[in-house]
Amino acid sequence: MKAMFSNGARDAGILLVFTVAFTALMAGAYLLTRDTVQRNEAEARASQIRAVLPAGSFDNDLLADSRALPKADAVKLGAADSSHVYLAKKSGQTVAAVLEAVAPDGYAGQIKLLVAVARDGQALGVRVVAHKETPGLGDYIEAAKSDWIHQFDGKSLSAPPAERWNVKKDGGAFDSTAGATISPRAVVRAVKTTLEYVNENRQRIFE
Amino acid sequence: MISKQEANVIIQNSIWKQNAGVVQILGMCPVLVMSSNIVNGVSLGLATSLVMLISGAAIASMRQFVPNEIRTPIFILIIAALVTVVDLLMNSYMHGLYVVLGIFIPLITTNCIVLARAEAFASKNGVAQSALDGFFMGIGLTGVLAVLGALRELIGKGTLLSGIDLLFGPAAKSWVIYVVPAEQHYQFLLAILPPGAFIGLGFLIAGKMALDRRAEARARAQTAKAEIQAA
Amino acid sequence: MKTSPFVAQPMPLQTVMLKVVTALVPGILLAVWAFGIGVLVQIALAVAVALATEAACLKLRGYPVKPFLLDGSAVVTACLLALSIPPLGPWWLAVLGTAVAIGLAKHMYGGLGQNTFNPAMIGFAVLIVSFPAQMSRWAAPLALAQPDLGALAQIAYIFTGHLPLAFDAVASATPLDAVRTGLLQHLTLADIFKAPLFGVAQQWIAAGYLVGGLYLWQQKVIRWRLPLAFLGGLGLTALVFWLVDSEHYASPLFHLFSGGAMLGAFFIITDPVTAPTTPLGQLIFAALAGLLAYLIRTLGGYPDGVAFAVLILNIVGPFIDQYTQPAVFGRKKKGAKA
Repeated sequence: MKAMFSNGARDAGILLVFTVAFTALMAGAYLLTRDTVQRNEAEARASQIRAVLPAGSFDNDLLADSRALPKADAVKLGAADSSHVYLAKKSGQTVAAVLEAVAPDGYAGQIKLLVAVARDGQALGVRVVAHKETPGLGDYIEAAKSDWIHQFDGKSLSAPPAERWNVKKDGGAFDSTAGATISPRAVVRAVKTTLEYVNENRQRIFE
Repeated sequence: MISKQEANVIIQNSIWKQNAGVVQILGMCPVLVMSSNIVNGVSLGLATSLVMLISGAAIASMRQFVPNEIRTPIFILIIAALVTVVDLLMNSYMHGLYVVLGIFIPLITTNCIVLARAEAFASKNGVAQSALDGFFMGIGLTGVLAVLGALRELIGKGTLLSGIDLLFGPAAKSWVIYVVPAEQHYQFLLAILPPGAFIGLGFLIAGKMALDRRAEARARAQTAKAEIQAA
Repeated sequence: MKTSPFVAQPMPLQTVMLKVVTALVPGILLAVWAFGIGVLVQIALAVAVALATEAACLKLRGYPVKPFLLDGSAVVTACLLALSIPPLGPWWLAVLGTAVAIGLAKHMYGGLGQNTFNPAMIGFAVLIVSFPAQMSRWAAPLALAQPDLGALAQIAYIFTGHLPLAFDAVASATPLDAVRTGLLQHLTLADIFKAPLFGVAQQWIAAGYLVGGLYLWQQKVIRWRLPLAFLGGLGLTALVFWLVDSEHYASPLFHLFSGGAMLGAFFIITDPVTAPTTPLGQLIFAALAGLLAYLIRTLGGYPDGVAFAVLILNIVGPFIDQYTQPAVFGRKKKGAKA
């Protein structure tokens, strides 16, 4: 009995020593890499946002000039509960806003978007950041797969007129591929909603 | 410390005879998911090899302090800690690739082949032997990942080495080999999606067996011939 | 199709296969009526490739070619696959799909009677996963098509991809797709069903398969368990969803007569090689396939779920068999009190 107890105590002690030693190793590695990792992650996020804005159109730190939107606004943009807006500034002047929007009605669930809107309500660029559309069918909404998403550059609610904010199959102004219209339809609708939201809340977003 | 002959036996065993991917069939999950192209496959394979090299050496050097009853938790602790370190280092120095490999770097911890070698080899052998065994087991796995990745990429997209810019920067984009010209938008999705991984791995296992069987038949024919000559 | 043990003299395989092909005729005729000559072109292509692949595989494996080639099983596989392909799909869909079905799903698993998976469904799955765009471009039924496509134009389109007009002009969603799309556009089911001649063609074709299936049952080629359990599993699941929310889930009747449900129930799930052999096992197998087919076609990323459901259940088939072995005569069931 005693031997068994002392064996158990010895094992626990050894386990403890190993745990402390290897936790120290991990902690060391963490401290060593912490700053780089944080910088990389911020950079990855920033480059995603930068992609929707025309190059050279801003000179601020996009992540620093961002804020969370109130829940009611996030819901208007299609998100379940939270959405952020990033402001692009040139010489201290806000020139555009990048909003996180969600198209809730993709073929297989939500399509997450970043939409850049200029002060005058014009869409500057749109990117799909996450989706579950059928590979090879609905995934041409991704910038990596095709140029489709660039159609939105320079569009606004007046050009094309609001009633033509739809895919060509439904009499709208936007292209889509035969047999795969659900995903583009969802994206077109979500971008339109985002532009409408910006129009209604211009003051609050840009000032 | 280790004779050349012994090293050769270990290397041969690790890369071919007991290949992790097509003979032991361990660590299927990362093999199947990360073999959609050569770059992903080889990167994950090398990361695994590195972890196995260090874990083999670490476990072999500490094995005399590890009581038999609690060896498994300690091995896992060592492996998990090493994987975490590799994960952090990759996150900070190869971020693009880190994003692509994603969850599969931390999951090296649960890759059976790592613990299997710790248990079956490193806990019973010397430091140099264990490091060698771990590393070349990883290299054997990397080989499978490379071949499977090449197959899937070639059949699925008509390219080789796509995504290499994640390793060597944007300048490397021109290194991608387009076997089918890029303008044609060739695509055979089955090969790139998970079912392609299963089918491809099946073909590789069958291929390995066929090669072994042929070698065996040849060896048998040779011994038979030798016996006849002797007689 | 009879399963072991054979007490009476079994029907020769060739006769069985001939009856299966005969049973497909009403469905094929209705499909030709609805979609035109393209259906026959796809069948001809698939049958030719199936026979060629079969012969090549038999030769490579060192089997006698002629008896196996004439057993008709490859022809049945080819017909089932061809009927699942859009009638105006490019020619290489049928060619590739059939080659995969016969070469990979049948012969690599050991040939006739050895395959784990239903070959036609493997061919279909490979096609829909690899070429979802081509596989979901269905032309409108001829009754709807404006302008009408002649037989020559159809054949030319299958082989060259050239159409005198944009494909969009003759394209039409299948009923399953129309419902899915309409619901995502926030239409009500009532509105979707109001579309002119909505789904009429596909539902008539499904009825044709039903007639053929009943003929097979009457001829004792298939038993009632598999088809009934499959349709029951699909129908009951649809009924539950429909009762809970009839605005957003179509009726059981719609689901039974859409997509691959009828073809699957009588011609695919009844494949004696890939289905379990015990009576209880067959009921479980087919009912689960029906349930899964409903879930995949309603909630998944692909237009129909019958093929995937059958393939997934094929994996579990042997397992179901093992656990549903009837007790040996004279012995008590496990767990029964002594």
